[in-house]
Amino acid sequence: MSNTLILLVILGLGVLGFFAGRARAMATAEGDRRNLHSLPNYYGANTALNAVVPAAVALAVWLIVQPFIINNSVSDMIDQGAIAEGSSLGLIMSDVRRVAEGLDVAVAQGAMTEQDASDMQTGFTDVRERLAEVGVALGSGVSAETLLAAQRYREMAWTGNWLKTFAVIAIAVGGLVLTWRVITRDYRARNVVEKGVLTVLILAASIAILTTVGIVLSLIFNTYEFFKLYPAADFFFGLNWSPSFSGRGQSSQLGILPLLWGTLYISFIALVVAVPIGLFAAIYLSEYASKSVRAVAKPMLEVLAGIPTIVYGLFALLTVGPLLVDVFGEGGMLGVNWMSGGTAVMTAGLVMGMMLIPFVSSLSDDIINAVPQAMRDGSLGLGATHSETVRQVIIPAALPGIVGAILLAASRAIGETMIVVLGAGAAARLSLNPFDAMTTVTAKIVSQLTGDSDFSSPVALVAFALGISLFVVTLGLNVFALYIVRKYREQYE
Amino acid sequence: MKDMIPVDRKMSTMQDSKISARGVQVYYGETHAIKDVSVEIADNTVTAFIGPSGCGKSTFLRCLNRMNDTIDSARVSGDILIDGEDIYDPRVDPVQLRAKVGMVFQKPNPFPKSIYDNVAYGPKIHGLARNKADLDEIVEKSLRKAALWEEAKDRLDKPGTGLSGGQQQRLCIARAIATAPEVLLMDEPCSALDPIATAQVEELIDELRQSYSVVIVTHSMQQAARVSQKTAFFHLGNLVEYDDTDKIFTNPQDPRTESYISGRIG
Repeated sequence: MSNTLILLVILGLGVLGFFAGRARAMATAEGDRRNLHSLPNYYGANTALNAVVPAAVALAVWLIVQPFIINNSVSDMIDQGAIAEGSSLGLIMSDVRRVAEGLDVAVAQGAMTEQDASDMQTGFTDVRERLAEVGVALGSGVSAETLLAAQRYREMAWTGNWLKTFAVIAIAVGGLVLTWRVITRDYRARNVVEKGVLTVLILAASIAILTTVGIVLSLIFNTYEFFKLYPAADFFFGLNWSPSFSGRGQSSQLGILPLLWGTLYISFIALVVAVPIGLFAAIYLSEYASKSVRAVAKPMLEVLAGIPTIVYGLFALLTVGPLLVDVFGEGGMLGVNWMSGGTAVMTAGLVMGMMLIPFVSSLSDDIINAVPQAMRDGSLGLGATHSETVRQVIIPAALPGIVGAILLAASRAIGETMIVVLGAGAAARLSLNPFDAMTTVTAKIVSQLTGDSDFSSPVALVAFALGISLFVVTLGLNVFALYIVRKYREQYE
Repeated sequence: MKDMIPVDRKMSTMQDSKISARGVQVYYGETHAIKDVSVEIADNTVTAFIGPSGCGKSTFLRCLNRMNDTIDSARVSGDILIDGEDIYDPRVDPVQLRAKVGMVFQKPNPFPKSIYDNVAYGPKIHGLARNKADLDEIVEKSLRKAALWEEAKDRLDKPGTGLSGGQQQRLCIARAIATAPEVLLMDEPCSALDPIATAQVEELIDELRQSYSVVIVTHSMQQAARVSQKTAFFHLGNLVEYDDTDKIFTNPQDPRTESYISGRIG
């Protein structure tokens, strides 16, 4: 039976269990639900859960374990000495599996009988030819040993599948019957179902956490590979970034500092733009704007946050960059020649700042609104003007939260990619001139891994080292932001 | 400063009223919250506003320093004169007015600043101190008047929010006194305090009478009887009765006042 079918059977048993459990509960309560410990549906759900969950878990485990067992027992059949030069057990095993699948297909299409498939011998039949007839192409002729192994493989898989079907359905039926039998009017089905709900919640939380752990681990292992090929000191302290794709990475210089400098410089400019504008917008919206203005302006500002960053990138490339060149470039309005092309730190920084405005303003607005009205009343009652109240009472009271908002915006700026790719250029450079083209860690990760990348060369693996460096920086910022927000959260209570 | 006023001006000179309200009406949107209230509040007197919840006593109190201006939907009509000057005249700056008419709120609301900065806040924004020494003096004097100096003098640089509830409320009183007001409005100043802190604040209110005209809104009739010389009873937005406290509590003229005081309504 196929796995889908087994699953459907289990689910069917679950539905059956639901109604059976519910009916039995009602029966023990003499038809009056008030005599039951839990609502009738809980008894049904409890029975259904006990039928479905253990069986589904058993199915999943079986699906993982069975191939291992079959592989091990079949590979024992293959003589270690018979493995040809340049081949390996793994390759032979994949041949075996391929032949086994081919035989399955042939039987399914009626080109062979089941008997033929299990009794066939290389001495009498050209297996390769016969399989080619049914559309299964094999790379080379099939040796006697491989065919035997494949036949053994099929046999075991067939037995395994039947065992699996019986075992899983037996577990489902067993779960159903056992639960059904213990149902009495005092059985605490509600508490059992609650435990099931709790398990689901815990699973959801662990998946989120485990994903993070998995991402970090994959970064760490690849970074470790990278540092085996490229000295860590050169990576962390190198002042040059010039990967050489052709020379197998031998002549590459992969220093993170120019990229880190570009990242921090662009983020700094972005924050210089976003923090005052966002903060002032938040103060206006939360303190001065009338209800009707606020109802329109706040969603408008938040629309900015919904624009895809690639669109900001286009805006940087096509509008802001040329505009800046007109002002600061050669023959520009100021008569200075600081800027040679549209892509520059300034271009990316300005546009990224615009992108961050809603982050800062929206979070700060919430935080300012959370300052109790009593603070405002107290200050106004002492004869302070509105702006004195804002400056001297509300902003200080909201400051920890605002700092948190800024740090979150900063970590967002550091991780930003598309605006940088389009707006800042691709040249890794250590320069103080904000009108120079520079690049960032994220943009370089993209360019190292786009196209054909060979994951054994440092030029590609460096992306993981860059990634983990970036991760550490933004993680540090986030932890710091959370610490600040937590530390001062309860100040006015 | 105002505490130089001779103390012998007592209840006998009732005609020199500090605040006189005439025909005051307050609307919150469509709701008519205060209906034609006229009242004369004397200097160096504690005047208590009593009445059931929602009767408009706090609303009326907030009219006296134009705190209702901060509520968009509130409209005030009628005349309120302080020292003969109409405070709703367009020439009057509500900010200046609030410096002259201090306010203490129901819940202690110290700023998240040090104790010193809390008290110095008003003097600083109104430029009452020429230098640091001046400011120090104002802070000390205000804290002394609010009976908080002994407890707070060693921790002036600690946050005001770290004080106990009763201390916080006295800090708020000190903060209000520091701007040298002439009138002190108190909106249920003891409702968030325990009995001991309440007793301390009440004692303080009685002392403040020497220098200020104090108007206190309270839910507790015992408190009104203890601290005030004059009492006004509000009911459903009307000023029902306004007289000497003794008279209100012993011989009320209006049956509604009598019912409220004896616990039959409210």
